[in-house]
Amino acid sequence: MNRGFNRVLEAVVRIDVSEIEFEAGTKRLTGGTGSGVIISGDGLIVTNAHVASPEAVSITVTLASLEKVEAKLVGWDHWTDLAVIRLNMTEVNRRKLTFTVAEFGDSAALYPGQTVYAVGTPYGLERTVTRGIISNANRPFRDNQGVRGYETGLFNNWLQTDAAINPGNSGGPLVTEDGKVVGINARGYIGADNLGFAIPSSVVRTVSAGLVREGAITRSYLGFALKELQDLENFYTLAANNGVLVNDVDPGSPAARAGLRASDVVLTMNGRRLDGRFPEQLAPIQATIAGLPVGTKVVLEVKRGGQTVALTMLTEKLESRVGAEWAFEKWGLSVRQVTRAFARSNQLTSETGVVVIGVQPGYPADVAGLARGDIITKVGSAPILELEKLKQLYAAYEAKPEPQLIEAQRNRRISLYVIKP
Amino acid sequence: MKTVLRLCLLGLTAAVSLTAATLSELFNDRLKSVVAVEFFVQSETERQPVTVLGTVIDAQGTIIVPAAAILPNVAPDQLKDFRVYRPGSTEGSNAVYLGQDAFTGWHFFRVEEKLRAELVPITQYAPITAEPALSDELWGIGLRNKDEDFLPYFLSARVATVMKLPQKTAILGNEVAGPGLPVFDLSGRFAGLAQTSFGQNFLLFSHNQHGNPILLVNVEESSVVLLTDEILPHLGRVPNSVTGRPISWFGAYGLQPLDPEVAKLIKLENKSGVVISDIADGSPAAQAGLQERDIVLAIDGQPLPRLKPDRVVVGYFGQEVLRRTPGDVMTLSILRNGERQDVKVKLGDEPKLVREADRHYFERLGLTVREFLSSDGMMHRTKPGEKGGVVVNFVKPGSQLATAGLRPDDLVREIDGDEIATYAQALTKLQAIEADKNRPEFVLLVSRGGETSVLRIKLN
Repeated sequence: MNRGFNRVLEAVVRIDVSEIEFEAGTKRLTGGTGSGVIISGDGLIVTNAHVASPEAVSITVTLASLEKVEAKLVGWDHWTDLAVIRLNMTEVNRRKLTFTVAEFGDSAALYPGQTVYAVGTPYGLERTVTRGIISNANRPFRDNQGVRGYETGLFNNWLQTDAAINPGNSGGPLVTEDGKVVGINARGYIGADNLGFAIPSSVVRTVSAGLVREGAITRSYLGFALKELQDLENFYTLAANNGVLVNDVDPGSPAARAGLRASDVVLTMNGRRLDGRFPEQLAPIQATIAGLPVGTKVVLEVKRGGQTVALTMLTEKLESRVGAEWAFEKWGLSVRQVTRAFARSNQLTSETGVVVIGVQPGYPADVAGLARGDIITKVGSAPILELEKLKQLYAAYEAKPEPQLIEAQRNRRISLYVIKP
Repeated sequence: MKTVLRLCLLGLTAAVSLTAATLSELFNDRLKSVVAVEFFVQSETERQPVTVLGTVIDAQGTIIVPAAAILPNVAPDQLKDFRVYRPGSTEGSNAVYLGQDAFTGWHFFRVEEKLRAELVPITQYAPITAEPALSDELWGIGLRNKDEDFLPYFLSARVATVMKLPQKTAILGNEVAGPGLPVFDLSGRFAGLAQTSFGQNFLLFSHNQHGNPILLVNVEESSVVLLTDEILPHLGRVPNSVTGRPISWFGAYGLQPLDPEVAKLIKLENKSGVVISDIADGSPAAQAGLQERDIVLAIDGQPLPRLKPDRVVVGYFGQEVLRRTPGDVMTLSILRNGERQDVKVKLGDEPKLVREADRHYFERLGLTVREFLSSDGMMHRTKPGEKGGVVVNFVKPGSQLATAGLRPDDLVREIDGDEIATYAQALTKLQAIEADKNRPEFVLLVSRGGETSVLRIKLN
């Protein structure tokens, strides 16, 4: 192997994360192992969002020298399944630890059949190198609950490889023979043979830079889902490579308010022609919208039946489906903030409240009859719009435990429960 | 005193020995009140045979079978070729379906004249005079399947408990009769009708299951008996039409029982109630001004009973609605924001049910659509006045539509780019598509779970 390859091996790390889980009415520490790659001399490491998340309590990095160093989360982005952590450099310097820094390659130059290597910690087996080829350099793949229940893959296509990727490879680099990082390995089809997916380095570079700069990626949102026009051009009497089909419009979104409807064809966005003929072209279009500064005025030229209309809307800040989580341990109750996206996808009448994500058997919430999926809207006479409000009421309860009247909804059915000390 | 006691004992002995001697005679006699009803549920591509058990209720050959015999969404015109068999017979007689009574849930059938002479209505037998006591022995009839000529067999069990669910129901220690068939006491008095049996919890152990909890439901025999008090007054509820109408309508769908702990906390200790939510727009409940979170405590001055399990009170409320007729006024005593008030609800006519909906099967497309009903509006959370489209009722497996991803219960909102406001409009469009053999494709906009999708369907 050439020197570049050996060099990247020294930049690949094992990452052990222990994190809080708010699952069944308790705060529980769970552990997980993933991989990462060092991208700067000051100790920045890129990994997957599903490896290192804001729920992490401690992150331990094992360097190629097998020395362990603590690290802290810098930022994460579930949409691209990327996270950046930073080594405790004081510790690194004090112990005189060394590592190398990986170099990025150009993912756009990859071709199917090109040899690539995956480096990482499959099943805890550190510094495992597996070899394969690029099976497809432009694979669309999205999953609405793919990263810890969060959406992923909407804004980028993926590299597909047959290099063996197993649990624990997550966050490790996909490298070319000269040791350049062309992707971050993220997922594989369970039960399939060698169908692995990696985030292309072009995406990794922009997102990791954004995470280092601001700790998060801010994106714009208009609120419509796309579908390829492939073979429907005749039906819509369109020339090929012209426009993209609107498959769904989120109720209440900027697009819906501007009058966009499912089955419309968007021809141009702010004068720029859109081409969504194939599934591979959809993520880049979504990324274009997402990349606009929040509050940007967008004019869509839309073909609807025989006529063409111009619709004007302002972008909003994109929000995740999953809200903040918490556990009220004395009640044995885990909850999550209801978000706009959650409310829309569950056809809720209100975008507020907290949803029960777990109860501990035998604890007050369970005894009262609350169950996963119930949306708590009121405690006593106080409306619960946000998690913070419930935290306050819980603090009051802890100080002076008294029976609490809880109002919760499920499928629009309102029930009353009593949580007793 | 002693003499009286001895007499009583003598009498008791006599009765018991008499019964014991005649139980098999009683059994053979009571068989004249029970039948098996066979029919077919005809769907687009299948013809499903169904056999249920029923009890004869009058001299006109009217037969009742339990609600579960026919799934609620099956349209009456899908039910075909009714045959009634006496126990042990191979010869079936023709029958007609009279419909379902909403209050009791019973389906009514009527058998052709020639068989009627062989039948004895259950009302011919004296009913029990008192509610069966704990440990009383009851007996009933089971029928084997058609391949065994519906051979009758004897079952007996003792009363474990009597509950209000909300109707008075005896639960026996063992299976006592086929569901839908009558149950008697030892002297042959009519005690009740076996209901669809309850599930029983078991743990399943096998080579790959290590004590997994499962629920088993015995479909052939039941240990649940609806007592005669809940049957005899309602035998006259033979539907006037196959739709079972009139059916009274209240219009709130999210009724929840008032939890006893909650009742205590809001100072309604030992009271029963139902919490109202999910009120249909324009329904009687809405017109009466009922609001979400109102707690109903009494109907026409009668407090709601405390029943166990808690949920049963919701069933009780439903029955109180269904026992009335459209136009009747129900006075509900409710608690709203801590204050009691009375609300008068004038019951309406139940909106069209799925089984009554207009539907059409397009054979070449392999698609059945049906009209959009107000219940679909509730399910799909559409707002009043919003155009619903049509509902996909059936998609032929393997058809182009199935391949394109269309599924039953999807809403078709547009066909070939045209918005579908009415069922008639959908029929016209689909008929044209079905008839046009040269058409290569068509496009649907469908919605499912609040999300829409454009589907392209290739033809030929």
